[in-house]
Amino acid sequence: MALVPGLITAEAEPEADAQALTALVDWCVRFSPAVAADRPDGLFLDISGVAHLWGGEGELLADFRARLAANGLPFRLAIADTPGAAWALAHHGRDGTIAPPNGQGELLAHLPPAALRLDPEAAAQIERLGLRRLGQLMEIPRAPLGRRFGAATLDRLDQALGRTAEALAFRRPATPWVDRLAFFEPISAPEDMARVTEDVTAKLCARLEAESQGGRRFEVAFHRVDGKAPAIAVGLSLPGRDARRIARLLQPKLETVDPGFGVESVTIAAYAVEPVGGRQVRIEAGLEAAVEDGLAPLVDRLANRLGPCAVWRAAPFESHVPELSATRTPALGAPPPQAQPWNREAPRPVRLFRRPEPLEQVVALLPDDPPIQFRWRGRLHRVQRAEGPERIGEEWWKGDIADASITHVRDYYRVEDAEGGRFWLFRAGLYGGGDAPKWWLHGLFG
Amino acid sequence: MSDFRATRIAALAAKIAAIESGGRAKAGVLPFGDARLDGCLPGGGLALGRWHEIVGAGLEAETSAAPAAFAALAATPLARTGEAVWVLRRDDLWAPGLAGLGFPPERLIQVCVRDEAEALAVMEDALATVGVSAVFAEVEAVDLTAGRRLQLACEKRGATGFVIKRRPFGGKARTEAAGSVAGTRWRVASAPSEPPAGEFGLGAPRLRVALERCRGGRTGEWILEASAAYSWEAGDVAHPLRLVADLGDRELAPAQPRERRAA
Repeated sequence: MALVPGLITAEAEPEADAQALTALVDWCVRFSPAVAADRPDGLFLDISGVAHLWGGEGELLADFRARLAANGLPFRLAIADTPGAAWALAHHGRDGTIAPPNGQGELLAHLPPAALRLDPEAAAQIERLGLRRLGQLMEIPRAPLGRRFGAATLDRLDQALGRTAEALAFRRPATPWVDRLAFFEPISAPEDMARVTEDVTAKLCARLEAESQGGRRFEVAFHRVDGKAPAIAVGLSLPGRDARRIARLLQPKLETVDPGFGVESVTIAAYAVEPVGGRQVRIEAGLEAAVEDGLAPLVDRLANRLGPCAVWRAAPFESHVPELSATRTPALGAPPPQAQPWNREAPRPVRLFRRPEPLEQVVALLPDDPPIQFRWRGRLHRVQRAEGPERIGEEWWKGDIADASITHVRDYYRVEDAEGGRFWLFRAGLYGGGDAPKWWLHGLFG
Repeated sequence: MSDFRATRIAALAAKIAAIESGGRAKAGVLPFGDARLDGCLPGGGLALGRWHEIVGAGLEAETSAAPAAFAALAATPLARTGEAVWVLRRDDLWAPGLAGLGFPPERLIQVCVRDEAEALAVMEDALATVGVSAVFAEVEAVDLTAGRRLQLACEKRGATGFVIKRRPFGGKARTEAAGSVAGTRWRVASAPSEPPAGEFGLGAPRLRVALERCRGGRTGEWILEASAAYSWEAGDVAHPLRLVADLGDRELAPAQPRERRAA
């Protein structure tokens, strides 16, 4: 500070940096769907097969450069065959280098060994031995090199030169089912947004149709002028590719998208893509309706409006504990349940309370007898008829073995009061133990 | 003379029915299988392609167990021919219980909604869907507009709706809308079961069912029994409800006070 009085200082904010990088990664989806963050301050963009959309790698790089510069970000760029080579050129080469295919070796030869993303010890070791350029490293035979500097160094060198593959952790699962629409002028009117959503969906669905595929999840991102990219997504219960249906599901979510100063491009991605056979349009009406006609769109509409957890089919689950014996499965497209179907002979209530409700003034003549009266919600019920007990033990094998006890049982009774109301109540615990057993109402029969 | 009158009345009734159906083909009826009950319903059974209102008496207005059981039992033959959708505001409907009554639980899609308007909208949506034969919804009240919309949705595909009137727990009773476009209105309560002589425990579940309003039909009150409930043949009987006693005097207007209400 004393040497440079004009130095501007700022607190290091690693979390804010990470967040900003994530936002930048999301923004980069406009160039390619495969973006991987390289923490703390870099990112990889896999542009295989997308450069032609800009007219070549040079044009893509120029566009990328212009947009980053417009956002006021400092940056260094490089394009190469491998992530390792691109990293090396971006960090230590000339900014904006485009390595020709299979030509990264020559370019890398002039760079310092630090360009290999080595761990500090190995880098220091190389430095100490007087190896100043990667070219010198490449000339050393593999076996001594590996022995001296470790297998990691060899790996990094191979990755940079494309002799081994490198796995990148992409921000989104890589999917080839991506499409984009770019606009001449930024758009922001609601009608335009609806229109482009429809168009981009139709574009992707046409491709899905051509290859007999269908997606279960569609995500549309709106890339705004200011660099933000709000996205909306819909899920389908069965894989589909009906553009109009998907666009209609997306439509209500459009109002949550803030176009800001305008949207310059839209991308759509399909996930969970699986083969879907074509279907012939039926000429005769009145045949058994196919699931795709009515039910699947209905379930999709409901699940997207109310949330995926709000629409379900109950399926049996093998458990004696009543509240666990029914699970929720997706309304459509779920595999048939593996569990045994419910026992129809065991009387079970139509309404089951999520939490059993406590009963008061319960009178039972003998310890194992059903109650002869109980009070529930302020009303006294006199039991006329009763059935039971049906003893259901806890699932002791799931909890701590020390907690397991033979007194952790529920004795269920089905009772009927004088007016005909039928109740499913249980006594938790046994008489004769430490605490007096408690009575609960668990469900109501019709 | 009387012959002439009878034919004229029959012709007029047919004309009115044609006007009421709005030129659409009749969706048919689902008979209960007992003349004493079917005789009260126009066409000899529960009208399909309409929606029916089911209310509970007393505490059942909140818990709604007996009305739900009645709706499921009455719609069991329908659920075997297509999908059923049950719209809930509290998810306390329990599929194993329905399975015990004979209702096929694998045909049932349950939908949990957040409010009343959403429940009616979902019901309407489901009724108009191909492949759905019965839709149940638990709502507090259906006003005339909503009722008319449900009716139009029913007529689209011939699906049948069951509106189960249910108050939220601890909620105040709402004043009922004066008119309703429902096909029928049923008031359902549990009735004491009668186990066979010499057996202890509970008998087959019985319901005390009052037909309070019925378009083009008569009212009445009966005790119905789900004879096959909680047995292996529960899912195989043609209609799970069996009439065991006729309570109401159907020739009179249903002005007699019911003791359930007084209780």
